[in-house]
Amino acid sequence: MIWGAWLCLVSPLAAAALITIGGNGISRRAAGYLATLATGIAFVGALVSFFALVSRDPGDREHLSTAWTWLGAGSYHSGLSILVDPLSVMMMLVVSGVGALIVGYSVGYMDGDPEERRYFAYMAVFVFSMLLLVEGGNLLLLLAGWGMVGLSSYLLIGFWHERPSAIAAAKKAFVMNAIGDATMALAFFVLIQRTGSLDYGDVFARSGRLGGWAINLVALGLLGGAVAKSAQLPLQTWLPDAMEGPTPVSALIHAATMVTAGVYLIVRTHPIFEQAPKIENLAAGLGAATLLMAGLIALVQTDVKRVIAYSTMSQIGYMFVGAGLGAYANGMFHLMTHAFFKALLFMAAGIVIHALAGEQDIRNMGGLRELMPFTRWCFLVGSLALVGVFPFAGFFSKDSILAAAMDHGWYGYVLWVAGLAGTLLTGLYTFRMYFVVFGGQRSAYVREHFHQEHGEGPFSMTSTVAILAGLAFVGGWIEFAPFWHPVTNWLEPVARPLVEPASWMEWTSSAIALVLGLAGIGIAWVFYGARRPRPVPRLAPVERALAHKLYFDEAYDLVFYRPAARLALLLGKLVERPLIAGSGRELAAGSVDVGRGFSRLQTGLVRTYALAIASSLAVIAIVFVAVR
Amino acid sequence: MTTALIVLPLAAALLVWLLPLPRIWVGGVALLASLAEVGLWIETLVRFDFEQSGLQFAQRRSWFSDLHVSYHVGMYPFSLWLAGLTAVVMAAAVAYAVWIGRDRPRAYFGLMLFLTGAIVGVFTAQDLLLFYAFFEAMLIPLYVLVGVWGGAGRLGATVKFVIYTMAGSLLMLAAIVVYGLQQGTFDLVDIGPSGSDWIFLGFVVAFAIKAPLFPFHGWLPDAYRESPPEVSAVLSGVVSKAAAYGFIRIAITKFPGPTHDLRAPILALAAVGLVYGSLLAFRAPDVRGVVAYSSLAQMGLVTLGIFAVNDLGLDGAVLQMVNHGLISAALFLLAGMVERRTSTGEFALLGGMARGRPALATVLMTTGIIALAVPFSSAFAGEFLILAGVLQQGWGWAVVGAAAIVLAAMYVLRLISGVLHQEVGVAVPEAALDLRPGELAVVVPLVGLLLALSAWPASVSQRSFPNDQPSGMVEGVLGPSGAAVPAGKVRIEISTSEPASP
Repeated sequence: MIWGAWLCLVSPLAAAALITIGGNGISRRAAGYLATLATGIAFVGALVSFFALVSRDPGDREHLSTAWTWLGAGSYHSGLSILVDPLSVMMMLVVSGVGALIVGYSVGYMDGDPEERRYFAYMAVFVFSMLLLVEGGNLLLLLAGWGMVGLSSYLLIGFWHERPSAIAAAKKAFVMNAIGDATMALAFFVLIQRTGSLDYGDVFARSGRLGGWAINLVALGLLGGAVAKSAQLPLQTWLPDAMEGPTPVSALIHAATMVTAGVYLIVRTHPIFEQAPKIENLAAGLGAATLLMAGLIALVQTDVKRVIAYSTMSQIGYMFVGAGLGAYANGMFHLMTHAFFKALLFMAAGIVIHALAGEQDIRNMGGLRELMPFTRWCFLVGSLALVGVFPFAGFFSKDSILAAAMDHGWYGYVLWVAGLAGTLLTGLYTFRMYFVVFGGQRSAYVREHFHQEHGEGPFSMTSTVAILAGLAFVGGWIEFAPFWHPVTNWLEPVARPLVEPASWMEWTSSAIALVLGLAGIGIAWVFYGARRPRPVPRLAPVERALAHKLYFDEAYDLVFYRPAARLALLLGKLVERPLIAGSGRELAAGSVDVGRGFSRLQTGLVRTYALAIASSLAVIAIVFVAVR
Repeated sequence: MTTALIVLPLAAALLVWLLPLPRIWVGGVALLASLAEVGLWIETLVRFDFEQSGLQFAQRRSWFSDLHVSYHVGMYPFSLWLAGLTAVVMAAAVAYAVWIGRDRPRAYFGLMLFLTGAIVGVFTAQDLLLFYAFFEAMLIPLYVLVGVWGGAGRLGATVKFVIYTMAGSLLMLAAIVVYGLQQGTFDLVDIGPSGSDWIFLGFVVAFAIKAPLFPFHGWLPDAYRESPPEVSAVLSGVVSKAAAYGFIRIAITKFPGPTHDLRAPILALAAVGLVYGSLLAFRAPDVRGVVAYSSLAQMGLVTLGIFAVNDLGLDGAVLQMVNHGLISAALFLLAGMVERRTSTGEFALLGGMARGRPALATVLMTTGIIALAVPFSSAFAGEFLILAGVLQQGWGWAVVGAAAIVLAAMYVLRLISGVLHQEVGVAVPEAALDLRPGELAVVVPLVGLLLALSAWPASVSQRSFPNDQPSGMVEGVLGPSGAAVPAGKVRIEISTSEPASP
């Protein structure tokens, strides 16, 4: 079984290496098929590991395999090892499964791009990095995967590198993530100092040694990495800009897999978080704040991909609430269903964008209902799953997180209310988008630019969307909290939940959430979907603030970037040039002056020389005594 | 074995200077000799026993017996890695010079080979005066290489370089003489520890100028900008490591007391240099400026690791020296290749070179990504160990270091996108070709080595000190009186009143 996990990890890397080295020797088409095949093989490897684990006793589902010592110094060392346990296998299945679908979709989507090969090499590198992140057998390899997914995200956001906006977005994403990497690395340094190791087992066993403030710092450092990667407050600003990348990239990296890594991190390192309950609550609180903020901003966005991006941010907020409360399985379950329906929404939006010659502004869309019936139905399935309407996937996974919040005292109820408010917002912004894109009259832009001959895209694209629509429909049925919970049982050996909501909590939460979600849809219908939509109420200052994403970018620019840039300029002007890098001519002039000064000493008077010799001897004698 | 590593390039230099070879052949002979040096080093690596403690491949001949000066060479594991770095980077530099065809080849290649021998000598000398001799022998060819083959501002650059390094050398000579006379021997293995802050500072300042460390880096921007690219590669890739080597081999092992007392100010200078260099790299207007100031930052980082004086920091510092040597050599050579196509290195005039030049884009991107220490790269491994080590001397150092890594991401990404991405720069001609096979043959091995190291950084980090016990090495060299150094902490009181030899 362990070979399956290694195969899963290595095959995408091999594909990336082959495409890079092959260069022009591999046709563009072949590069796409190769990447798809490799990701498919990775999925098979994940399946092998999964079934091997299923066949074993729940107590015997943790297997570590080390290839060689990757890094070591003195008594500290970390192996290049992979860990196969229920949590990592679940992530492997999601990453390689959704990954294979999306890479396959890209074969159609990227067809004709002159640099297709580069795209597929990057995609394969991403899948490898993400698998390294989830399979890594110690914290150091987790961090390695963590940084590598950030790198592949940078490469793919900036894939169309002639666009300055794409390059700027890519750099921003990388630097934001580097901040998270740095706080995580700092947490690891403390762990090395206090526990001497970065292996999961050792660290968790010895984390009691850390003591109060150290464990809080470590948890805070880990949380810093998690919020950066998962685009939660206060490091959320990069995600909307990341939509500059090709749409399949947004689907795979910025919806289904990478951005949810923060949730995985919290679940994986839960023994540390459990010893730092304040930080745990902070994580849940940040999640709740993000889900509300992102839901509000999504209401005013006009770029279809940005609406979905904010919705991703908001949904990850729910996962953070779950993971922060200790409802680990619920958070992971929502991660999985979210991967299905959010990838679906992006892929369906990708078909629309493709058909409209790259247009992403929803104000230029409209009336696509009859033109793209297949896409419309799939998009509707995704939207319903996102809002959490019974019996679509989101209903099962999101509501169980809300129920868990009720079992966490007064703080839990605060989170619960925030989550419910978020549900209303979700219904509202999702169906605003849906009605504006597919409902109403065909816009002038659509009449002019819609490619009828395209149909709804090649088979590679439509088949992926169809499969994802199926998953978004039935994917949630595997766990229905009041009746059956295989996901919770599966993850039990890795992460035992801290909260156990009673049955009435489940029912109450589900009922209220469902009503609020439908209410959101209803409001959206009144303003955007009805035959004679009512005029949308205007609140100019609020809208302006939301359109500026609550001024986070401006604030960070003012507080961090500009001072740093100014400091660099000042250092160059005030320190480097005058004090350190004086020009050669100045130095030469200086030495000439010194020489002239010395030449004045040549007086020819013997008594001056004698005095000089004597005093020098005295100085030398004193120096010798001092130096001794 | 060690002597062979030193003598082979020196002999080849003589050969190039004296034999009446046709000019066309000179470069070829020099390249062959540098490749032979790499081969010889591989042979040494294979025969090196990492389990064994103490000096290996040692050789000792008395020189001035009354002063106890001898020709004494040999290798510790870290000397072995640095000698290997020298052989590889010098081979790449010579290959690049052959490819672009430097004028006056006889003088040029002779100097490059002489330089190779001198640097290997610095890394293997086990006698203070011999160390000094090699150190000076290393600088002289550099003066000529910068001053004769450099760019437009080469004269100013050389003058500054000479003044700075001369000052450093004189300080070091004074320190060596006083130290050797005090201890009655100049042998680095036999010589006892000293508690004198003044001698220690003499060495430290000399090395800080050579590294360079903030604020002794006045010579750096001009020298790195005006040299021929392959000489910049050697300067920042290899020669700067001689200083870090000196910190390890002399400063901390021979001066445990002063190291302990003066550690905080040295760490502070290193940390300031790390941030300062990163900030200036972020604002530098040209490719070489970025690489030059990033070298300043990286040497600050290495110094942080060394003066953490514990297993993590020292192992990380050696690994990072090897990493940075390969990275900055590759980056300077790539900068040279870009400049040859566009005749400028200014970001304002560059851009968009990725389109249609996949090889250049791939190689520059890969090197840059490793340079910014993306996790899972060997540079990340080195920086991780260094910062984990220096955290044990105080969390503030590690926080500064981590912040500097974020800055590193910013300046490297600026370099990459400034050259490769966005709109095509005005200085980039349509006809500027992708990297040619000859150029690929120069840089791809460097990048390949970095990738191999990324797969297995422990190959260096766990094999950089005898028995992978840097703190043990520090103790062992100290001799019996220093045996009480606890791992990671140098805390010995050494009386400063040892009788000085006349």
